[in-house]
Amino acid sequence: MGWILTESRLSTGAKYMAQFTLRINGKEHRIEAANDMPLLWVLRDTLNLTGTKFGCGVGTCGACMVHVDGEPVQSCTLPAIAVKGKNITTIEGLSADSTHAVQRAWVALQIPQCGYCQSGQIMTVAALLEQNQNPSESEIDTTMNQVLCRCGTYQRIRDGVQLAAKMLKEDR
Amino acid sequence: MSNIKLDRRRFLKLSSASVFGAGLVLAIRWQALPADDKKILKNTSQFQPNIWLKIGTDGRVTVFVVESEMGQGSSSLMPMILAEELEVAWDDIAIQRAPLKPAFGYQATGGSSSIRKGWATLRSAGAMARQMLVQAAAQQWSVDPSGCYAQHSQVIHKQTGKQLSFAQLAELAATLPIPENVSLKSPNEYKILGTSVPRLDIPGKVDGSAQFGIDVRLPDMLFATTVHCPVIGGKAKKINDSKAKQIVGVEGVYKIENAVAVVAKDTWTAMQAAKALEIEWDEGKNKNLSSQQIQQQLETAAKNHAQVKHQQGDINSPGAVKTINARYDMPFQAHVPMEPMNCTALINDQGCQVWAPTQSPSKAKSTAEQYGLSKFNYYLEKISRRLDFSERDAVDVHTTLLGGGFGRRIHQDYVAEAVQIARQLNQPVNLTWSREEDIQHDFYHPHTFHVMQGSVDANGKPHSWWHRIAAVGRAGSGQLPYAIPNSKIDLASVDIAVPIGPWRSVKHHYYAFAQETFFDELAALGKQDPLQLRLELLTDPRLKKVLQLAADKAQWGRPLAEGHFLGLAVHKSFGTYVAEAVEIALDDKGEVNVIRVVVAVDCGIVINKDTLIAQMESSVVFGLSAALKSPITLKDGRVQQNNFYDYPILKMSEMPRVDVFIVKNNESPQGIGEPAVPPLAPALANAIFAATGSAVSGLPFV
Repeated sequence: MGWILTESRLSTGAKYMAQFTLRINGKEHRIEAANDMPLLWVLRDTLNLTGTKFGCGVGTCGACMVHVDGEPVQSCTLPAIAVKGKNITTIEGLSADSTHAVQRAWVALQIPQCGYCQSGQIMTVAALLEQNQNPSESEIDTTMNQVLCRCGTYQRIRDGVQLAAKMLKEDR
Repeated sequence: MSNIKLDRRRFLKLSSASVFGAGLVLAIRWQALPADDKKILKNTSQFQPNIWLKIGTDGRVTVFVVESEMGQGSSSLMPMILAEELEVAWDDIAIQRAPLKPAFGYQATGGSSSIRKGWATLRSAGAMARQMLVQAAAQQWSVDPSGCYAQHSQVIHKQTGKQLSFAQLAELAATLPIPENVSLKSPNEYKILGTSVPRLDIPGKVDGSAQFGIDVRLPDMLFATTVHCPVIGGKAKKINDSKAKQIVGVEGVYKIENAVAVVAKDTWTAMQAAKALEIEWDEGKNKNLSSQQIQQQLETAAKNHAQVKHQQGDINSPGAVKTINARYDMPFQAHVPMEPMNCTALINDQGCQVWAPTQSPSKAKSTAEQYGLSKFNYYLEKISRRLDFSERDAVDVHTTLLGGGFGRRIHQDYVAEAVQIARQLNQPVNLTWSREEDIQHDFYHPHTFHVMQGSVDANGKPHSWWHRIAAVGRAGSGQLPYAIPNSKIDLASVDIAVPIGPWRSVKHHYYAFAQETFFDELAALGKQDPLQLRLELLTDPRLKKVLQLAADKAQWGRPLAEGHFLGLAVHKSFGTYVAEAVEIALDDKGEVNVIRVVVAVDCGIVINKDTLIAQMESSVVFGLSAALKSPITLKDGRVQQNNFYDYPILKMSEMPRVDVFIVKNNESPQGIGEPAVPPLAPALANAIFAATGSAVSGLPFV
């Protein structure tokens, strides 16, 4: 996912307004936005889906993680127009009633502190467990290195991934 | 039980209208429990014996919280204190942000002070309500209240076992007089305190519904961002906004006091337009400021004049056999809470409203008054309708959840900016800084320079201790906890233009680093075991106890795996005693891997055990980021770091195992948000010293 927008690209005047449809959490939204407007800001400022967070704007902190066709993607560097027609899932759509195994594990272990990064953490873990039911410690570390937490909830997140993995197996 | 007389001023029976009147124009989803919110809003008649709580006839107990929730857990810990005395079931508790009314006092959250400040008040508030509920039940049953007790949201008559719920009693209790005295529980009667009841803010933090400042959305809202002169203290001289204004969606560009603001239909457009601004800056007098120059100024200051903070004996008195000197350099640090600086403001004919993730709602209010009202008298000029802005309630601040604080949000610069932008508009505006602005325009943890000199006597025991601290801004220190016959601590404060502010654990971070790191050097000079020597010289039994506990749990003195080393440090701050033992592994390249951190803590009475553990874990990570990651540096008057790629914080794979051990006692409860930061870096430094035999020269260790 190398959609990093550079200033030089902006200065070439590549920008134009575009109309397109996004499918977010199973619902279609008609969008009018600049062709380089990242998905993050369409979610937050156009659609008021504020659960996805802005942390760095350059794809280094992971607070903006969403799923695009099940893949975890940092939405702050991904032009919204690039994901038209794809299935986008945000934290608001992970489950209808906060019952996804990762969410349950997060409550059980009281993981969030300030909570600001936790949408990104949860979405990253949910995608990881979708692809890998038994992630090893090093697989967890490598994947979760993408999402920063200034409150330092990392130890609990490690435990939370294991607990959620167990819960998912029980669900199946 | 102990009886205490109520402070009537604090518990004045304030009518709902006087305290909870207008004010709450738009309620914030502070506790994201939609079903419960509906319960709170349901207009049941309510029992409100004091300003801290109300009990509905549905049994819901709403506790008003004045503390800002930034992850430290105050929004659940404060209600726990009240709930304990009230004898209410935890599930019946709901929280509501206290309005900014004088009855609640000055609202600011910092200095790990919430528990210490609220402890007595909230216990009494809960006990008062409980006594009135018991009285109401006794009246209903026509029995003596001494034969009744409250438990789990019920009042029970001992003899007959009859029960009435708080819900059933609320209406009658509301008609009873406020008691003159209340009796408080003793710690051995506690049912909630010391347990790990689930935090009330967590459900909203796993489904995206928790509302941080940056998430405030209002009808017709616009979005803004600000850019500041890259040189500290500089100002915009000339702004060419023609390119910025060509961008579709840009609504305006405004020069405000210390920045240039761009307003647009969304944050992204505002940030793109901000990049397209051509600004000529008046860089002012700080354009040559650099870290090197600051370092030299601190070293010079440390050589010259210093204010004596502590002196005992004579550090030059005879008896020293060996002497050692050390210098430690501690760099600037930024706060970088994950939620960048932001604030939402609206000025209309109703007055000025501010929505802010702030550690100090009271300061946010006075800031908004200054910038939104009196200073510019904006609305009086602009609208025909006469408004009485002398009315202080014309400004209201709605405090949202904070996506981290760490001291950064004690400052209200973003509030001042949002209000200045709102003055230009007729609709609400949500101001969000880029991460770059957040890192480059912080109020930094100060750069400090420490000069240490110590000596040992013929027995290898410390004979003298001298610690001189030179700091950007006002230098501070802690207290030397060791019985050393001759000691001196002095301070040199250096006036440099870099903005300084409180950063998690403030002066204790640099003070404890120098003290505890040098202690191991001095111990080595006298060929002493650093643990044994500490235990010998510590005068405070509580410090000794946490140190011994950390050492025991880390198994100090055990044979370690090859390449593994242990370091210890102990420090008291914010009323709490913390010792940490850090185990590291050195790899072939000499790189340090932190394997495990043992934390032993004595904070007196524990409010929420799990939250205490979480704050210890959190502080360890905060300390590790400062110890192991690149600091803030300056060149040409500019902060050189931009974003997480060049001001990194600890990430998952670098996370050591953290084990927390709690000393149990019934001492009064103390701060938990900061005290575990200070011992981390010196314990790590001492592990590195043990590994390499050469002392560290400051932070970071990379």
